[in-house]
Amino acid sequence: MKKLLWIPLLLLLTFVGDRIGGWVLKQVVEKSQFRYTRLYKGQAEAEVLLVGNSRGLIFYQPHIEAITEKNTFNICYNGMPIDVARRLIEDYFEHYTAPQQLLLDVTMCDRSNNPLMAGFNMYTPYSQNLEELILDSIPKSGYAGKLSHLYRYNSEVFQRTLAYMNKSDESWTNERVMNDFLVEEAKNLKPYHISYDTVYSGELRAIAQLCQAKGTQLHFLVNPYYPPFAQSINNLDSIKQVILAETQIPVKDYSTLLKDHQYFSDYQHTNTEGSKKYLDQLKLDGILD
Amino acid sequence: MIFNSLAFLVFIAVFLPLYFSLKGKARLLLCLAGSYFFYGWWNYYFLSLIVFSTLIDYFVGLRLENEQNQNTRKNLLLTSMVVNLGFLGVFKYFNFFIESFTEMLQGWGYEGSLTTLSIILPVGISFYTFQSMSYTIDVYYKKIKVERDFIRFATFISFFPQLVAGPIVRASDFLPQFQKDRHFEWDRLTAGLGQILWGFFKKVAVADSLAPFVDQCFAEPGGFSSLHLLIGIIFYSFQIYCDFSGYSDIAIGLARILGFDFPDNFKTPYFSKNYSEFWTRWHISLSSWLRDYLYIPLGGNRGGSFGSWFFIALFMLLAVVMTGWLWLGIACLALAAWSFWYKRQSDKHERTIFNYMNLMVTMLLGGLWHGAGWAFVFWGFLHGFYQIIQRLAGPIWNKMLDAIRVPNLLQNAIAILLVYSSTCLAWIYFRAANEPNDFLTANEYILKIVSLENFNFGSVINKFWVVKGFLLIGMLLLVEITNLRFTYYKIVQTNPIFRVISFAILLWLISFMGSFGSNSFIYFQF
Repeated sequence: MKKLLWIPLLLLLTFVGDRIGGWVLKQVVEKSQFRYTRLYKGQAEAEVLLVGNSRGLIFYQPHIEAITEKNTFNICYNGMPIDVARRLIEDYFEHYTAPQQLLLDVTMCDRSNNPLMAGFNMYTPYSQNLEELILDSIPKSGYAGKLSHLYRYNSEVFQRTLAYMNKSDESWTNERVMNDFLVEEAKNLKPYHISYDTVYSGELRAIAQLCQAKGTQLHFLVNPYYPPFAQSINNLDSIKQVILAETQIPVKDYSTLLKDHQYFSDYQHTNTEGSKKYLDQLKLDGILD
Repeated sequence: MIFNSLAFLVFIAVFLPLYFSLKGKARLLLCLAGSYFFYGWWNYYFLSLIVFSTLIDYFVGLRLENEQNQNTRKNLLLTSMVVNLGFLGVFKYFNFFIESFTEMLQGWGYEGSLTTLSIILPVGISFYTFQSMSYTIDVYYKKIKVERDFIRFATFISFFPQLVAGPIVRASDFLPQFQKDRHFEWDRLTAGLGQILWGFFKKVAVADSLAPFVDQCFAEPGGFSSLHLLIGIIFYSFQIYCDFSGYSDIAIGLARILGFDFPDNFKTPYFSKNYSEFWTRWHISLSSWLRDYLYIPLGGNRGGSFGSWFFIALFMLLAVVMTGWLWLGIACLALAAWSFWYKRQSDKHERTIFNYMNLMVTMLLGGLWHGAGWAFVFWGFLHGFYQIIQRLAGPIWNKMLDAIRVPNLLQNAIAILLVYSSTCLAWIYFRAANEPNDFLTANEYILKIVSLENFNFGSVINKFWVVKGFLLIGMLLLVEITNLRFTYYKIVQTNPIFRVISFAILLWLISFMGSFGSNSFIYFQF
């Protein structure tokens, strides 16, 4: 029996260590200035809510705040799928006064992203919506997060949370300018297909209904692409039509607004200068007012 | 079935209690059935290949034992080789040879294309055929006794812990271990578990965490900065090391729990101070197989054979034909002429030339073993080239360092860095072999790095992956530098407190840093 003693000891130590580690990491997360921590800590009160994936991160907040004199909150994340975005929006509406405007880049509706969804495991203690989504969509990850609290923090989302321990991410921007290689390659782009699924329409509809119920003005947008790339997308128009039919909200298309490669860091992302120019256009068009 | 899957966890949870509750023949049968189930989980059709290979080598072995006629013995050996290499040829290399041949004809103006077959590569075929062939060759040379028990022999060929990605265990090391009656041993369980957990840490936490960054780099090297790509290849060197050595650790640990001792397959290869040393530390079971069954039969460092000339001439011819480079043809002819002239100077010169030829042939075929692609062959060529350069320039280099009184520690550091960086250079071709334009991708990758374009940390994308990657590599190196990797299993056996704490730490690290997608092991494709 003495030889077996190490096994329960190991299980006990692993469990206790996991819980202590999980608790410590939770404290770390709560001290961060990262956007989702601010969302759940009640520090995200805003008049304009910005939603998207990495292409939504180009909603450069300092510039929007300068031209509109309104507070903004950006819940975008690289590769953010619409189902996670919807839960974050719902959480936002549950915790705060409804924003005046919600800007959503619909090109985020191009994927489901289970690995990223698993990254939001760390926010399940604060969000019933996220917990239900994760348990429903990726039960293995969901239950693993309940079994091991350390596992909840095993994600890039947590690493970003660490990166923003002492600084806010509100002024994040992309300064890079597209390199010559990409400009040259753009001449030979193959047709690009956005993998839009009708499931995403349901999520957009739910967001639209929520905004309508709360009196928030909702704008569906297509943020700028590098024009040769925008032209290579073979189903953008049909996606816009589907969204209009499903939600009764027209999609405002800015995909070809910016022509010069100097405004882009790559085919799908504007840099700071490009973002400013785009946001100025939104202001001119009355979308940002 | 792969080790890092839920299916395997269930399989081993059922298998282990059954294994230790049975004895003798029944246990052996369970082991064989379990191994076939393990393999069949992936594709049960391909079990027939293992069974056929096993039957051929079993009966060839039995015939070899009683056969005195040398010609018949040779024919028997040849039968085994033809069947085993034939399977490899068809399933692994058929399309490659057809495509290369078509490409060659197209280079000469031929417009059509030859038919390739839609063939799936059976997982682990390169490993079990080599293991099986080593048995027949050893029986032929009377180095080992023939195995008369079919179940025992079949289990030796298909033993599930090392069936699909090695280590390649020799019959002389493995078969005698079946004769011991083994009981469950706590010491074996603890040491085995330690090795398995360490293997999982390397695979799930290190290798799989580095993989996305590496994949991104090789998908479009032109789109990234030189520093980004440099980090990419450093990551790949550790990804492939941790992926493969992690698998070996899990396999060896599992075998240890079941009562079998397998030799180490990796011994901190990136701390090698020269290329010969690298190959005694990297994939040891393959490099020693190639040494014993290819390099030495070719003549080793004592002389040459028809094989040495044949393979060198064949590879030179293929290189010239495939590239269509006239200058390469002239260079090859000049090298051959010089070699002829040089080897005629003295016996010592002849031995040197043959030694280089045998070395190069071994590395070229070693490269081809890894995959059906010219980039793999070129990877082998680079390693052969490094070893030849080391033998030519090594003594001069050492004298020079001694003359300028470079301290030993610094000499060692320079040597390790040189070997590591040139190994990384070769890894670029190895990894690029998975891309549609293998050589173009590799060359673009290298040119981009040496251009030093945007060589600053600001140009690196996905910095979070980079930080996590270097953190994990740091942890790995810390364990390897302190030599804990080799003493770990012993301490784990004797010190229960160390055992409990270290296991818990590994479990926490795997939970906190592991990547839990369905990532297969890189060496499965070989």
